[in-house]
Amino acid sequence: MPVISVNLQEFVKFVGTDLSITEIAEALPMLGVAWEGYHDGEFSVEVFPNRPDMLSVEGLARAFSSFIGVRPGLRRFEVESPGGRVTRVEGKVSPIRPYIGMAVILDFPMEENALLSMMQLQEKLHITHCRRRRKASIGIYDLDTIVFPITYTTKPVDFRFRPLEWDSKITLRDILLKHPKGIEYAYILEGLDRYPILLDNNGTVLSMPPIINSEDTKVTLNTTNLLIDVTGTHLKTVLEVLNIVTSSIAERGGRIGAVRILYPNKELVTPDMNPRSMVLNIKYATKLLGIDLTVKDVKMHLRKMGYEVEGKGNCDEVEVLIPCYRTDIMHQIDLVEDIAIAYGYGNFEPELPSISTIGEEDDIEKFSHVLRDLMVGFNMQEVITFYLSNEDKLFRRMEVPAEPLVKTANPKTEEYTVLRTWLLPSLMEVLSRNQHNEYPQRIFEVDDVVILDEKTDTGARTERKLAAAVCHADTGFHEIKGLVESFLKNIGIRGYKFEELEKGCFITGRAAKVLVEQDEIGYFGEIHPKVLENWGLKMPVSAMEFSVNKIYRYVKEI
Amino acid sequence: MGDSTTFEIAQKIGVKRDAIEVASLWAAEKGLVTIHTESRMLAELTKEGWDTLNNGLPERRLQHILEKGPINISKLKKRLERLDIAIGWARRRGWIIIEGDSVQLTEKGFKEISIELPEEQIIKNAATAPVPITKENKRVIDELVRRKILRLHTEKKKILSLTEKGREVATKVGVSVEVSKLTPELIVSGKWRDVVLTPYDISVKAPTIYPGKKHFMRQVIDYIRRIWLDMGFKEMKGPILDVAFWVFDALYQPQDHPARDLADTFYAETPSHGELPSPEIVDAVRMTHEDGWTTGSTGWGYKWDENEARKCVLRTHTTSLSARTLAKLRDDIENGNIPAKYFSVGRVFRNETLTWKNLAEFYQTDGIVVGNVSFRHLLGYLKEFYNKLGIRKCRFRPAYFPYTEMSVEIEVFDERKGVWVELGGAGIFRPEVVKPLLGKDIPVLAWGPGLERTVMNRYNIEDIRILYMNDLEILRSARLWIG
Repeated sequence: MPVISVNLQEFVKFVGTDLSITEIAEALPMLGVAWEGYHDGEFSVEVFPNRPDMLSVEGLARAFSSFIGVRPGLRRFEVESPGGRVTRVEGKVSPIRPYIGMAVILDFPMEENALLSMMQLQEKLHITHCRRRRKASIGIYDLDTIVFPITYTTKPVDFRFRPLEWDSKITLRDILLKHPKGIEYAYILEGLDRYPILLDNNGTVLSMPPIINSEDTKVTLNTTNLLIDVTGTHLKTVLEVLNIVTSSIAERGGRIGAVRILYPNKELVTPDMNPRSMVLNIKYATKLLGIDLTVKDVKMHLRKMGYEVEGKGNCDEVEVLIPCYRTDIMHQIDLVEDIAIAYGYGNFEPELPSISTIGEEDDIEKFSHVLRDLMVGFNMQEVITFYLSNEDKLFRRMEVPAEPLVKTANPKTEEYTVLRTWLLPSLMEVLSRNQHNEYPQRIFEVDDVVILDEKTDTGARTERKLAAAVCHADTGFHEIKGLVESFLKNIGIRGYKFEELEKGCFITGRAAKVLVEQDEIGYFGEIHPKVLENWGLKMPVSAMEFSVNKIYRYVKEI
Repeated sequence: MGDSTTFEIAQKIGVKRDAIEVASLWAAEKGLVTIHTESRMLAELTKEGWDTLNNGLPERRLQHILEKGPINISKLKKRLERLDIAIGWARRRGWIIIEGDSVQLTEKGFKEISIELPEEQIIKNAATAPVPITKENKRVIDELVRRKILRLHTEKKKILSLTEKGREVATKVGVSVEVSKLTPELIVSGKWRDVVLTPYDISVKAPTIYPGKKHFMRQVIDYIRRIWLDMGFKEMKGPILDVAFWVFDALYQPQDHPARDLADTFYAETPSHGELPSPEIVDAVRMTHEDGWTTGSTGWGYKWDENEARKCVLRTHTTSLSARTLAKLRDDIENGNIPAKYFSVGRVFRNETLTWKNLAEFYQTDGIVVGNVSFRHLLGYLKEFYNKLGIRKCRFRPAYFPYTEMSVEIEVFDERKGVWVELGGAGIFRPEVVKPLLGKDIPVLAWGPGLERTVMNRYNIEDIRILYMNDLEILRSARLWIG
């Protein structure tokens, strides 16, 4: 989740009241951001993905200022009509990146902090709400370098212009191959032979969305009029992002102006910064929160969260006006949560309801508990190992043939390419890593493995297994056989028999499988020296593994 | 009674060696014993020596690599640390020749692959007990000391032998009536009445005993299971490998949500896709994502893709079980099955590389309460749960999860660092989650905190990897969890 850094002085200025860093650190988390720390005049907070409007110092301060009661209520934004500001969208962009929205900010009080804040807001929005620029991307330009009408079109790969941070004109192809931003975002335009381009009436390139702006239209400390564009694949997101960026920048001053967007078959005037409205049922809110609230309370709390409430005649419902930058309000439950935040999570009295139900444990879990107690009684140490493994550990080192199993498609490390199908390899790994510790070593694990199974809805089933291993200079077949016999006797398995077992991990003639009614419930034996060598072990190991699910079935039958 | 060292005597009768030495001086003065001192040099493994024991001598490792054929020096550098030492020794032993950049085994080098060197014999012996220096092994040991594999230390021994006079006195005073070990014989014969059982020095070190024990994480898991069971929660169980539908879609996570990225979630190659539940549920989920369906929500506003929902993933949270449980409750919601309370404790997965603060798999405990419940009740359950875990100073702060609203993060105050630490998330399931699954919009309290953070706070563990390292020394000595 995105972390933004905030200049303390700027923040205090925008909040509009004097605040100490301790007060901010205490209060901000209660608005719903995670405090990360303060250093050298800047603090950093983690902003949750539902509040992209707080990804800038201006937006965060706006929300906080309402929250602490300095500037409660709805922010209204006046938008001047587009006049001659027109952008034509050509049909060619529609299969690639069909949507665009624009706004201008006139007479903007430019300063260094404003420039830095704009950059941070763009960067953080690009990662989050814009889904790494695929869904939407933002461009900000010096409006005075641009002549309307603007055209949103596509150009072939050998079209040239001078991108930001580059000292000459290069082709679009080269931008994707050589420019750092081109390399980073080329994946969005993969497989295309024409790329999106914004041009003004003189043919000056504004940008190549969603990759890079041109040097010709760059915003500098001398810029006083700004043009903002957002292009993307999802109209709702494009317009939301435009509102967030425009409203954030406008917190610093200047006048917002609209742009007329002419699509091939429709016309849109952006930005639309009018509030939305939503009906809130007061009873719904109070019942869910478990507190009593009057219409007046609701109004006060919602104003602290930047809303306006238009009282209806009756007291059951109110109409709530939602500011244009709040993109996360989908359902009245979202308003209820904001009431709770304004009320203060710390002010709710926790209460246990009297709901009498009977606790009930899963059968296999209950049985596993019994088995672990028994193993501990055998003076064994439980280990807990990972379900994720790899074929080298599960098969090659164990000298057994590979079998089909659950494979991960995208592991970050070679360690985790499959889900384990048996436990013994996990125990061997534990022993191999404990050679500096005192012997004898007696370990066990009762936990899950995952087996492919076409009969289930997910194509695999989880199975509970038990495995144990004993490692010291004198261990061998007889020790583990004794353990197995005692184990079976104590859990009440009768009528089992042992049959010779050929399995690569055991020494031939020193391994057996355990059968109940011809059904193999487990096996045990003395680990083959080749396997010990594969794990780098210098001590003999004897081991057993059982299917807990199978054992449980037979135990229940008795 | 023959010659004994002071050390042997101290061990035999269980008193401190110092005491024996003082006593022996006194006895020598009286002419009862003679004392002579011997010292000898012992060689023991250094840290590097232990490494060598596990990995082999550098030249041996080089020999094994070259066994398959000649290799370029630059390639060797990547495969073997301290290559220069390995090459030096291998050359000295006549195992290798270097031609240009290529290193290869000589005939001798091949022949001696499985012949144990005297050095290796000594390293092995030193692993069990320090090796005394003899005429035969001195050369080899000196060499290994130079190679920093062994280090020397001196052991001093005082050997006592009874004089003629001493022997006489011993017989007269009847030393033999003092016995150290109470035997079955002494008990049965009643002879124990005639002897004095030697008083022991109770400060003498006793042998270390390791109990059979559950892993400390298991103790916490069991304890947490008890908390839920005591509070009347029923256990939920379900697949580790699940379809994305239950892990994400049913929990109202849009299909382009960053949590669903390959970078965060393990997708399965085999099996790649699974089956979805009944069309009734799937359609309700689809429509809720697209336009809110009848939940009163706007929905996410995109085209929902069934194929994306069928992808198999390693569950990223056990909240998938809560979603499955709600869908199961749907059929008999009218039969008095509500209110209902469920819990689970299980393994969850994130596509991470292991670091001191990240694991690829860890534990989560989920709970849901379905019924006429409120936000205050949610806080009530959480407070109770953390109280039972011994955490008193905690606070609730607003949080965000796509499937809950209100969303809460429980934080505990870390006194040492003076900061609030996140313990786990909770909330009330959104109507967009509940209605498609349950068929009705009923409040469902839900939580899913991880366990590791709580355990690490309690045991002051900074590196999360220690929890599942299974180091027997740590497991054997870890204090039991009492709650």
